[in-house]
Amino acid sequence: MNLTEKMRQEAAQILESKEADLVIGWGGGEYYWQSPPLFLEDAAGAAELAFSPFIVNNLAKYLLEELESHEKAALFVKGCDTRGINRLLQDHRIQREAVLLIGVPCAGLADREKLKAAGYDAGLLQVERQGDSFILTLEGEEGAREVPAGEFLLDKCLECRYPNPLVYDRLLGEEVQKPRERDPMARVREVQKKPVDEKYAYWQEKLSRCIRCYACRNVCPACNCRECIFDQNAPRWVGKANQLSEKQNYNIIRSFHIAGRCIDCGECQRACPMDIPLMEINRKIIQDLTELYGEYEAGIDPTDVPPLGTYRAEDPAGFSER
Amino acid sequence: MSVAKEGFEPLIVAFCCNWCSYAGADLAGTGRMPYPANVRIVRVPCSSRVNPSFVIRAFQRGADGVIVAGCHPGDCHYHSGNFFTRRRLSVLRRLLEYMGIEPERFQVRWISGSEGAKFAQVMTDLTADIRALGPNRKLRDAL
Amino acid sequence: MKRVGVFVCWCGSNIAATVDIERVIAAARKMPNVVYASDNKYMCSELGQASIRESIEKENITRVVIASCSPRMHENTFRKTVAAAGLNPFYLEIANIREHCSWVHKEGEVGTVKAISLVRTAVAKAARNEPLTPSSLQITKRALVIGAGIAGIQAALDIADSGYQVDLVEKEPSIGGRMAQLDKTFPTLDCSACILTPKMVDVAQHDNITLHTYSVVEKVDGYVGNFTATIRKKSRGIDMEKCTGCGICYEKCPVKVDSEFEAGMAKRRAIYVPFPQAVPNKPVIDRENCRYFTQGKCKVCQKLCPAGAVDYELEDEVLTVEYGAIVVATGFDILDLQAYGEYGYGKHPDVLTSLEFERLVNASGPTGGKILRPSDGKPPRTVAFIQCVGSRDQAKGKAYCSKVCCMYTAKHAILLREKVPGAKPIVFYIDVRTPGKDYEEFYNRATDEYGATYIRGQVGKVYPEGDRLIIRGVDSLSARPVELEVDMVVLAVAVTARADAAGVGRMLGITTNAHQFFNEAHPKLRPVETHSAGIYLAGMCQGPKDIPEAVAQASAAAVKVVGLLNKDSLVGNPTVANVDESMCSGCLECTQVCPYDAIKEKSITERRGRETLTRTVAEVNEGLCQGCGACSVACRPGANNLKGFTNEQILAEVDAVCL
Repeated sequence: MNLTEKMRQEAAQILESKEADLVIGWGGGEYYWQSPPLFLEDAAGAAELAFSPFIVNNLAKYLLEELESHEKAALFVKGCDTRGINRLLQDHRIQREAVLLIGVPCAGLADREKLKAAGYDAGLLQVERQGDSFILTLEGEEGAREVPAGEFLLDKCLECRYPNPLVYDRLLGEEVQKPRERDPMARVREVQKKPVDEKYAYWQEKLSRCIRCYACRNVCPACNCRECIFDQNAPRWVGKANQLSEKQNYNIIRSFHIAGRCIDCGECQRACPMDIPLMEINRKIIQDLTELYGEYEAGIDPTDVPPLGTYRAEDPAGFSER
Repeated sequence: MSVAKEGFEPLIVAFCCNWCSYAGADLAGTGRMPYPANVRIVRVPCSSRVNPSFVIRAFQRGADGVIVAGCHPGDCHYHSGNFFTRRRLSVLRRLLEYMGIEPERFQVRWISGSEGAKFAQVMTDLTADIRALGPNRKLRDAL
Repeated sequence: MKRVGVFVCWCGSNIAATVDIERVIAAARKMPNVVYASDNKYMCSELGQASIRESIEKENITRVVIASCSPRMHENTFRKTVAAAGLNPFYLEIANIREHCSWVHKEGEVGTVKAISLVRTAVAKAARNEPLTPSSLQITKRALVIGAGIAGIQAALDIADSGYQVDLVEKEPSIGGRMAQLDKTFPTLDCSACILTPKMVDVAQHDNITLHTYSVVEKVDGYVGNFTATIRKKSRGIDMEKCTGCGICYEKCPVKVDSEFEAGMAKRRAIYVPFPQAVPNKPVIDRENCRYFTQGKCKVCQKLCPAGAVDYELEDEVLTVEYGAIVVATGFDILDLQAYGEYGYGKHPDVLTSLEFERLVNASGPTGGKILRPSDGKPPRTVAFIQCVGSRDQAKGKAYCSKVCCMYTAKHAILLREKVPGAKPIVFYIDVRTPGKDYEEFYNRATDEYGATYIRGQVGKVYPEGDRLIIRGVDSLSARPVELEVDMVVLAVAVTARADAAGVGRMLGITTNAHQFFNEAHPKLRPVETHSAGIYLAGMCQGPKDIPEAVAQASAAAVKVVGLLNKDSLVGNPTVANVDESMCSGCLECTQVCPYDAIKEKSITERRGRETLTRTVAEVNEGLCQGCGACSVACRPGANNLKGFTNEQILAEVDAVCL
């Protein structure tokens, strides 16, 4: 049985047995790269579930709303998604007993942009994972084409440390082994090396692109406040004018609000329509927190205390204490 | 980013905790210890009351330098406030530096209620540093 | 629309000589929301205050800015003025144009420019001031005194005599503390026990004092007027009701260990009374050394006890008691001499600490008050007293002066001469410090009447030669090396804070200085208060002091406690954190950063369409909150906001500062 079939069977069984009154999973779309979220209350709908190398959406944040009208929600979760679950648990935004987690081991997801760049986008009907390869089904072509998966993975998947779910009630399929292929901090170190004015220019160029669509915030499991400061009028924390300073303000404060809380999933950067390398900011903070206050990974253990929620009397400072 | 420095009078926003640094500034006054008038104090109960948003806002509105001053670690009137300040603002300071803001422009210092002379010295040095850097245009609202 | 009135004070010439008041007023009149601006030579004078009150009423002013001295000086004065005019006292903001301006910016017109900026900032904040009402707190009419040395005893007695219930907690099996170990006391040479023991008996018999010996305070929660303490009464292994204190039990105990009370100069048993005048005068079983507890058999004391009071199974008792006020009188330790190998302490039995010497001189001590060398039991002919061992020593010891050593060393020299006729006391000192009534005279007696030799200089080495000790040092007045042969060396060891002082401080929420002595709220004007309201200090735990000072401080602390307990209720601090429940996500990050445990989670129920939802939010206990605002910053959406220093206010101040 392939993963799509397993997902469908699992969802149908959960809803039939009333183990949960909602299943959130991924469906198929019109195009090969689409994988929209699917909200199922009826077992009959389970047939719409589809596993593909594009199930990138972290479904965890839908819980915030859905659990207001459902007793218990079942959710399909990848490794990175479970860090988001832990984030929500630690922030007391969901109760563990209100969710049923169906773990899905993930060896990395496909990047449409990379496929495009290799000339595979037009006429591509389906992409499937098979071992270390992606199997591409192309329109009007006999048989399928096999390409090495590693060349077409999302960047964030190359940097992944948790291909297997960290928390789950049931696991679909076998755990996968996937070494981290890229050092996620490499870019931070590169940017950091620039002289101060070059850094400013670098970020000025990146952040001036920001259109304040807030996709980065909306997709982020750590941005889970009932009412975001960026939406408030009184006080007005960030102005509405379309100018660089407000974009800088937004991006600095957004990253600060997830300092010590960012689960390093990379969704903000992936969701950004303007290609702002947001993870280079988030990871700078992760790097500094580690350097100053010790190794810490958010979203691993929901019972720990994030580094900005605690202190030690002998802490070092990032400034002169003379 | 360097602009004409001649006749430049920097604006420096100093967030001072009520119990130590604000009292230190009072003591500098009582002791008639002069320091540049460029420094404008915003009184907060504790350095831990300083939200990074306040710092960014100051730069947006035209501050050339921002300093947060609190009690020495271990001496916080509220026991542990400045320990949180130390963590939060260490992160913020490194982040701002990473975003291209000269580290001199955002400083955090511990100044006790008995350190009037230190208050005056810190503010004098800070003003000199900022004066040398010239006006800040980074993070600033378009005029 | 807020109507802000601005009142600019000249402070005589203090402000007006530097700041152009006219310009400040003219500028203020143009500021947003300002409807009125005026000046006065002395705003704090009755005339000045009257002018503020009149203007508020006449001009229908709803928010007040006073540009004057520091708010730390007159904020309360002017709040009362504003309240007298019928406004909420927290409608006031002060622009500090004296300490932060006229006194430090005297060059040219910069002071005036800055004063205008400070006024503009205060106006911006004042326009956003909300009415604040302090909460009223009840007061538990009971006091806790931690530590039953002379300071704790005095504080407990004074509070109890004023009619309030006091719990006196002492970790040792008896009250009395360090003073009980001393022989005579300077400068009168009256016997320490003779003046202390009557007070100890008073404590034991006082109707208003509940004594908890062999007990520790494990936890303190709450706030002024409403503390809750957890006290562990360690099991003595003795049924205190049945025990008659006859003493048979410890006569036959087979275990002998060093007596803490005798500073290790004598042995005690595993079941013991620390000293003959102990209160309570009933034994305790030292479980670490008792043969029954270490080896499982013995029970000699139980077999011998005629009252059947020995009970090995007795367990610790844990009490939770509420108090309105706390006096901390936890005393002191003496410095560990590990870093001072040159004096030969621990290597040669005739090198003693001053506390050990104190026991040696004491009539109830190990030698019955005869000064005898521990090595051979012979009386010493020459005794060297070395002062400042660890005190005034930034390199190896403590930077501070221990304050009592000069005087007790003079006392030791006198006692030596009295007890060993013809003996020769030689004192090495850095400075002889004798401030205190009759202190200098006492020191003069030691040198003039008792022939003590004082050598100004430090000792570099003490080593044995034959059965005597050689001292090598320098006489710094003649700049010549000194080498002396003596029979005994007494080290005036630095007093230190208790080893666990920092931990006790954390438990109580009070701070310590660099040497772990507890910090008073103000070194001159609030010497017995701490920064935590309702917690007071007495005795050495706050810093080195002698007995009369410790007693005076204890009585002062007691007055503070009585003054507090006399009140019917307390006015709380209204600048506390506040949670907007509609916005709060219930992440509870604010609870993690609160030093007062003042924020708790709370369940609320609300309607959302047809559903009734229950969700968690944070709730601030206004009695516990001290208003630091750390939680308001931890709150990402700003649901948690600090009254009096709100996000709106501070952002408005920043905007105004930068104009």
